[in-house]
Amino acid sequence: MIEVTAGWYLSLAAVLFSIGLLGILVRRNALIMFMCVELMLNAVNLTFVAAGRALGNLEGQVAVFFVLVVAAAEVVVGLAIIVAIFRRRESASVDELATLRG
Amino acid sequence: MTLNDYLPLLVMMVLALVFVGAAVLISRIFSPKRPTVEKSAPYESGILPETEPAQRFPVKFYMVAMLFVIFDVEIIFLFAWASRFNDLGWYGIGAVAIFTAFVLETLAYVWKRGALDWNVKHRARYMTAADREAA
Amino acid sequence: MTFAQVLTPPSVGWIAIAPEIVLGVGAALILLFDVQYKPKRTHLGLATAAIVATAFAFAIVQYDRVQTLSQATADQAADFVATAFPFDAMIVLDANAVFGRFAMLLVTGLGLAAGWRLFERLGARAAEGLALMLLSATGFMFMASSTHLMMVFLGLEVGSIALYVLAGITRERTESDEAAIKYFLLGSVASAVFIYGVALTYAGSGSMNLLEIQGVLARNIFTRPAVLLIGIALMVVGMGFKVSAAPFHSWAPDVYQGAPGGIVGYMAAAAKIGGFAALIRILFTAFPDFISTWGPLVAGIAALSMLLGSTVALVQDDIRRMLGYSGVAHAGFILTGVVAGGAGTGEVWFYLGVYTVQLVGAFGVVAAVTGAATSGAGIDAFRGLSKRAPFLAATFTVLLLGMAGLPLTSGFVAKFGVFTEAWQAGYEWLVIVAVLASVIAFFFYLRVIVAMYMEEPVDEAVAPPGISVRASLALASLITIVIGIVPGPLLSLAGEASPL
Repeated sequence: MIEVTAGWYLSLAAVLFSIGLLGILVRRNALIMFMCVELMLNAVNLTFVAAGRALGNLEGQVAVFFVLVVAAAEVVVGLAIIVAIFRRRESASVDELATLRG
Repeated sequence: MTLNDYLPLLVMMVLALVFVGAAVLISRIFSPKRPTVEKSAPYESGILPETEPAQRFPVKFYMVAMLFVIFDVEIIFLFAWASRFNDLGWYGIGAVAIFTAFVLETLAYVWKRGALDWNVKHRARYMTAADREAA
Repeated sequence: MTFAQVLTPPSVGWIAIAPEIVLGVGAALILLFDVQYKPKRTHLGLATAAIVATAFAFAIVQYDRVQTLSQATADQAADFVATAFPFDAMIVLDANAVFGRFAMLLVTGLGLAAGWRLFERLGARAAEGLALMLLSATGFMFMASSTHLMMVFLGLEVGSIALYVLAGITRERTESDEAAIKYFLLGSVASAVFIYGVALTYAGSGSMNLLEIQGVLARNIFTRPAVLLIGIALMVVGMGFKVSAAPFHSWAPDVYQGAPGGIVGYMAAAAKIGGFAALIRILFTAFPDFISTWGPLVAGIAALSMLLGSTVALVQDDIRRMLGYSGVAHAGFILTGVVAGGAGTGEVWFYLGVYTVQLVGAFGVVAAVTGAATSGAGIDAFRGLSKRAPFLAATFTVLLLGMAGLPLTSGFVAKFGVFTEAWQAGYEWLVIVAVLASVIAFFFYLRVIVAMYMEEPVDEAVAPPGISVRASLALASLITIVIGIVPGPLLSLAGEASPL
């Protein structure tokens, strides 16, 4: 039977991270881009836990706590900014945010 | 850990798919179909809606939800401390006291500032000059 | 597998984090005091200035402590470790951290004074802006003073999240919202990339403590070299975003143009100090032996930043966008010093110190001319400025010449320093690119100076700047000239600032 090693988890995390990054690059809705950032952070969490387990120390799991809290803080600030923009423009598409360019 | 350990998970997934598929399929085959306007309307149990529901929730709900998310997640750190309470001793208590003081400080600020207040008038003090011109 | 182990509480070293404590507690007190007593805005501003000054005083005490530590003898080793690496080596008290604090606090003080009119305009929300400013300074200072990657990440996030809010704080203009959302989205991607780099470094080396990582690498016992190398590259990319190095710079011109004029100088300078402090710490402490691997990567980013920043800045008609692209070029110049490795630390810090002062000063002038709460600053507003506001025109000229790197300004000494280090490290081609970029850069700075002195005014008179604005602009210009003529003391101070 095939052994599921840490490498599998690291690969899965890498795939998730890449999906998130790709989403940021191709999607134009601020909310969806925002969710892609969350996906990237969760890929990071998976990497931390898998690496911590493989290395046999706790640091990886503790790191996940901090990443989670930081992600929550980012969510709140990000949503507040998106709400502020939505109230002004009735749209959450970043393509319409084109006042600043050059 | 080998792939064998994941076998129950796979069985569970297959069972879930089979159950959902069977339920949808059976009801489609055997149920009578006499659609009316009322029945086709979503979420109204056969009664026509009288007015259109509000399109957007007022922003004051967002405020409460966002504050909840922040304060909710802060609690994570207390679990880590509580599970090793005896080992950490006074150092742990001191550290958590400082942490809690900052969380409570934020709560006090948010409260006093009127962010938990659903009556928006109380927040008028915090509008900028331009906000007031716009309002 | 079991994780049971005896936990021993770490050593506590309050002095090592005293400036951060002062700023953080100060920010909390300002908020509470404001909602309870509703004090005058001027008093809030003075209180903030006092908090920054107190933190600076503690940083001087720390400098003294570091001097003592550097003479510690072998039998004081245990004492040395407890003082220099408190909190289980999460924090480090060394010259690098202290110099980072000096730069950060100087920029905060200047930014507060130069952007004071913005805080007045914020009305009752002034306390929020001031507290956010102090909190972001706290975060970026932690980036300079930690040897643990998780701590660096937390510092980065505390600093960055506060800056996202500051970018959109006026709510008066669409541009400000737009700057905030762009800064937020790209900034959080950068943070995610950085923390992924941290996770991979941890997976590859087994630790997140930079000193331990160095030990592991020195003994050559790490298990996944490929994962580790990707981790290093991702951390460099994440920090490249924060310091707005090309090709990760796309947010910088938009944010510099859109964010409220009174705060944007501080935002730009603080993010650069934090990003470079962490980059120095990570690359020079943990991976000095990998310089042949990350050196070319950093050199490539540096060359691209300098060329792209300088050339695109040439065609900008908005002064703030121009300063944004020039910031990209300057990130490249500083990275030129980074490729030299540990030997270039002093030169990098010197450049960072003098450039961020010029940056805050220059944006202070822009805010004084076009308004502290507005976005954008067309070049028309600066035509004939010497006739309308001679003081602003004169300080702007000094600061722009300093950024251009004209001899007898601090910018020249800074550029000379990093170029020399890069040349000695064998990056001759990079120095040639850098000199070329400096020459190109000179033209767009000159263009603004010509517009101020040689052209006829288009706009009407400028409102005279307040006392705090004048003081901060005068100080920034004075620093630029004095350091340019007598660079010795600052050079030796920065030269000590190598990480432990």
